[in-house]
Amino acid sequence: MLKIENLHVSIGGNQILKGINLEVKAGETHAIMGPNGSGKSTLAQVLAGHEEYEITDGKIEYLSKDLLGMDIEERACEGIFLAFQYPVELPGVNNTYFLKSALNAQRKYRGEKEMDAMEFIDLIGDKIKLLNLNDSLLKRPVNEGFSGGEKKRNEIFQMAVLEPKLALLDETDSGLDIDALRVVANGINSMRKEENAIIIVTHYQRLLNYIVPDFVHVLVDGKIINSGDKNLALELEEKGYDRIVEEAKA
Amino acid sequence: MKAVETFTTDFESTLDLPDDNLNLLRRESFEEFKKHGLPTRKEEYWKYSDPSIISNLELEFVSSGQYEDENYDVILVNGKIVKRFKDCQMGDISEGLRSGNLGEDLFKKKDKPFLNLNNAFAINGCYLILESTSRQTIRILNLITNEGKYQAVHPRCVIIAKRNSESVIFEEFRIMGNGTSFVNSVTDVIIEDGANLEHIIMDDFAENTYHVANVCVKQYKDSNFVSHNFSMGKKFARRDFNVELNQSGANCNLFGLYFVDEENHIDHHTTIDHKEAHCNSKEHYKGILSGKSTGVFNGRIHVHPGAQKTDAIQNNQNLLLSDDAIIHTKPELEIYADDVKCTHGATIGPLDEKGLFYLRSRGLNRKEAQQILMRAYVNEIIENVSDEKIRSELMELILDRLPKGD
Ligand SMILES: Nc1ncnc2c1ncn2[C@@H]1O[C@H](COP(=O)(O)OP(=O)(O)OP(=O)(O)O)[C@@H](O)[C@H]1O
Ligand SMILES: [Mg+2]
Repeated sequence: MLKIENLHVSIGGNQILKGINLEVKAGETHAIMGPNGSGKSTLAQVLAGHEEYEITDGKIEYLSKDLLGMDIEERACEGIFLAFQYPVELPGVNNTYFLKSALNAQRKYRGEKEMDAMEFIDLIGDKIKLLNLNDSLLKRPVNEGFSGGEKKRNEIFQMAVLEPKLALLDETDSGLDIDALRVVANGINSMRKEENAIIIVTHYQRLLNYIVPDFVHVLVDGKIINSGDKNLALELEEKGYDRIVEEAKA
Repeated sequence: MKAVETFTTDFESTLDLPDDNLNLLRRESFEEFKKHGLPTRKEEYWKYSDPSIISNLELEFVSSGQYEDENYDVILVNGKIVKRFKDCQMGDISEGLRSGNLGEDLFKKKDKPFLNLNNAFAINGCYLILESTSRQTIRILNLITNEGKYQAVHPRCVIIAKRNSESVIFEEFRIMGNGTSFVNSVTDVIIEDGANLEHIIMDDFAENTYHVANVCVKQYKDSNFVSHNFSMGKKFARRDFNVELNQSGANCNLFGLYFVDEENHIDHHTTIDHKEAHCNSKEHYKGILSGKSTGVFNGRIHVHPGAQKTDAIQNNQNLLLSDDAIIHTKPELEIYADDVKCTHGATIGPLDEKGLFYLRSRGLNRKEAQQILMRAYVNEIIENVSDEKIRSELMELILDRLPKGD
């Protein structure tokens, strides 16, 4: 589904990603872990199409297409969804209106009929229940004044409605309380299907207890220095990054 | 100075009216106007807006025409009343002055050239008296019809909100036809003790319009004034909005929204005179500028000696959608009392790039994302209009007039 080869990325003259190679197949869940500032969010943002980053080398193939040649919205319409580490506040933009516009933009792209207000309300009803979302959040401006946990929950709610093929979850677990973590993890699990894939960026083993990954990668200083199965996450938790880095060098 | 010459000829030709006193007033105003002529950019308040661009136009004074639209209670065509509202006391300016319904003060010579010019011509304009028991919403259309001429019109509207009245006035300016028009409008608003008035002024003009507008508001004890100033001015638009808080307990809340595109020009000069203690003023003006347009916002707050416990807030925000658009924004605070609270702020910037990325990452294209952010931006002003029907009409019109994004 996704094939990243030798990806080099810089911003403001700083080289952040220094040769990433990663292949994700349909049906798989990958976790990316790594110290602060190692480039995890950069990778996620580049996949979503953020235009500020400069791709200095490498290529990315998504569903057999050249991803780097696609616009931000085209990627979204082709099924890529980024749950932001820091969701953006949109003052004055109603949350429901926003999500309905987004869904319809994607449906239009796929040649499907746009949904009217009634159909949309029906559709989101289940998702609201699934994520135990407070109704009032839907009537408010997107993310404005939302608590940290509410913002993350809202991201996953959007994902549940948009039903992407490839979900990139950037620290969706940070800021969630214990109950919320379980609810959000359930939401994420419900979209694990044969034809979909998930990349989870996280600092904690906690989330991976609920969403068990097929692969775990360790990103340090712009490179993946180690890859393994779910046990690598446990090992990381135990030893810390320093020792993993040492061992990788050895 | 072709324009001033033609103003003079036109003025002389309108003097054959019976009432001498009225003509005397008008003549004084006109002489005062002529003495100073049109302002130039050398004057501080005209630094960024050059009214001399109209001085070379050969403008013909027009004050007639017919039009009917059932959506409006009052209609003026080229400054002359053609439709009257039955449910309130109203009439034309010359009648009002003759009967004493209008005081002469408003028509005595002023220190603003365009007020004097309007006073000289405004005999056909209208006045409205909102009685104490009034709970009305009145829609006024100021229509300018111009089939290919160069013309000058001087619409005038005087609104008197009597004690304790509560009314909404929606004053709309429109152009029909494709001629070149110089529109020199004046709206006077007098709000007596305890009265509440919500006033909406909106212009939606054709390309070749030069609009100078003066809105002069006088508030008295415990009165409340809410103003919505929507301007989609074209070629040249200048609006002076002046509010006098003459007695304690008078509060005003001024909202403004303006957009300009191409090489057009819009200039708002607002003045709030805090003349007495315990008055509050709030002002929030927002603009969207695109193309090679220029905008000016000059917000003056004058706190007179003795106007203690004044609370004045001013905020001006500008969205610049192109590198070639220019905005001059300036707060002007003159404070002669010590126990007052005055705050002001101004921002200038493009659409939020982070917001655009977020919207696009959900599948909306760049244009749609821009429209959504702009809609939210203008709604912060429009949502303050209390009448739901007017609010949604305005929203629809304004969304249609918004720059289309890049
Ligand atoms: N606009 C920018 N200009 C310069 N450096 C930047 C810019 N944006 C990000 N960086 C740098 O890129 C590096 C990688 O940042 P990134 O956000 O990808 O880290 P991360 O792995 O997600 O960290 P965290 O775990 O803290 O979220 C950091 O050192 C950051 O300071
Ligand atoms: Mg990060």
